[in-house]
Amino acid sequence: MAKNTCIICQIIGNSIPSKKIYEDELVLAVLDVNGANPGHCFVMPKNHYPIIEQVPDMEIGKLFQVSNKISSAIFEALGAQGTNIFVANGIPAGQTVAHFMINVIPRKENDEINLQWQPKQLSEEEMSTVELKLKEHTKNIGYFEKEEKKPRIHAAKPAALSEEEEEYFTRQMRRLP
Amino acid sequence: MPEQISPEQLKALQEKIKQMSPEELKEFQKKQCIFCQIVAGKIQSRKVYEDEKTLAILDINPANPGHVLLLTKEHYSIMPQLPDDEVSHVFMVAKALSNAMLRGIEVQGTNIIVANGIAAGQRAQHFMAHVIPRKEKDGVDFILPQKPMEQQEIESIGNRLIAALGGAVEKEDEQAAQAPMPKKGEPKGKGINLDDISKLLGAK
Repeated sequence: MAKNTCIICQIIGNSIPSKKIYEDELVLAVLDVNGANPGHCFVMPKNHYPIIEQVPDMEIGKLFQVSNKISSAIFEALGAQGTNIFVANGIPAGQTVAHFMINVIPRKENDEINLQWQPKQLSEEEMSTVELKLKEHTKNIGYFEKEEKKPRIHAAKPAALSEEEEEYFTRQMRRLP
Repeated sequence: MPEQISPEQLKALQEKIKQMSPEELKEFQKKQCIFCQIVAGKIQSRKVYEDEKTLAILDINPANPGHVLLLTKEHYSIMPQLPDDEVSHVFMVAKALSNAMLRGIEVQGTNIIVANGIAAGQRAQHFMAHVIPRKEKDGVDFILPQKPMEQQEIESIGNRLIAALGGAVEKEDEQAAQAPMPKKGEPKGKGINLDDISKLLGAK
């Protein structure tokens, strides 16, 4: 089973120890003990979803709400000068584990973290092309899965993927250079 | 020096701001904020998505072609000021935008980034989430160093965070569950095409 080989699922299942910061039926947040700065946290769904597109909207909402609370707690309790919320989706984006997670990172001046970029120069025509292509695919945005009013525990059903699909997906993710 | 604000004038201005009602203050901030003017349509932008709470526009200084700035229509300086229901909404839209990028502009990944505070790289006084399309060797080089923590530090930092969270997450959860969700467009199919995405992810 893909779930059994997933390091994050093992953290959630307590077979790998972690410093837990927050936990509810759907979400677990732990301290990254090898983080970009002390206080760096991972916020992850307890259900196994390799990438963000697979996470149901209701869980997305919850995960980012928890991330936002942790971000506030980092300001308050650690006296950070800033925080980043960072998600890497897919290998070219820097994703290294096939379990969706949100990084919440405390920031201070000159902390060696770089989340900046060199702006690329695009012509007006290139901008128009990408604008049209994106618009074509954003037309249907706006219908979001409503939150279930039932107790959360019932909502926390296994991901709607067959094991076979999951395993295939995880193999794809593991093909790291 | 008539053009410079004297300490007295500055003090008067600060007093004035202090005495503004929340509504007046919001109006004042909006007038100062370039992104509020974009939201109001006073400054032109390339809009790729809009609903009653959010506006997504193309970044004019993109990390990659298709780099989107997802703004709240309401003026918030940083993310901790957003109410829970808006946080949910913004990131459901961010997920959908990421999906649109994977399908619409032939990229193999996306980053979602929020910067709170100048030390975190925030440049504008208006909350936004960056959704950035990614490809292999695209020249975008984010650096997250690894700084191992001592056991003692793990306990002390961890416990300070737990104390600061103080159950607040659970408490506001109920309220968020009641938050109205937007109704617009047609329901999409729930399933996603795994083949497409794993193909993109496995492109290496």
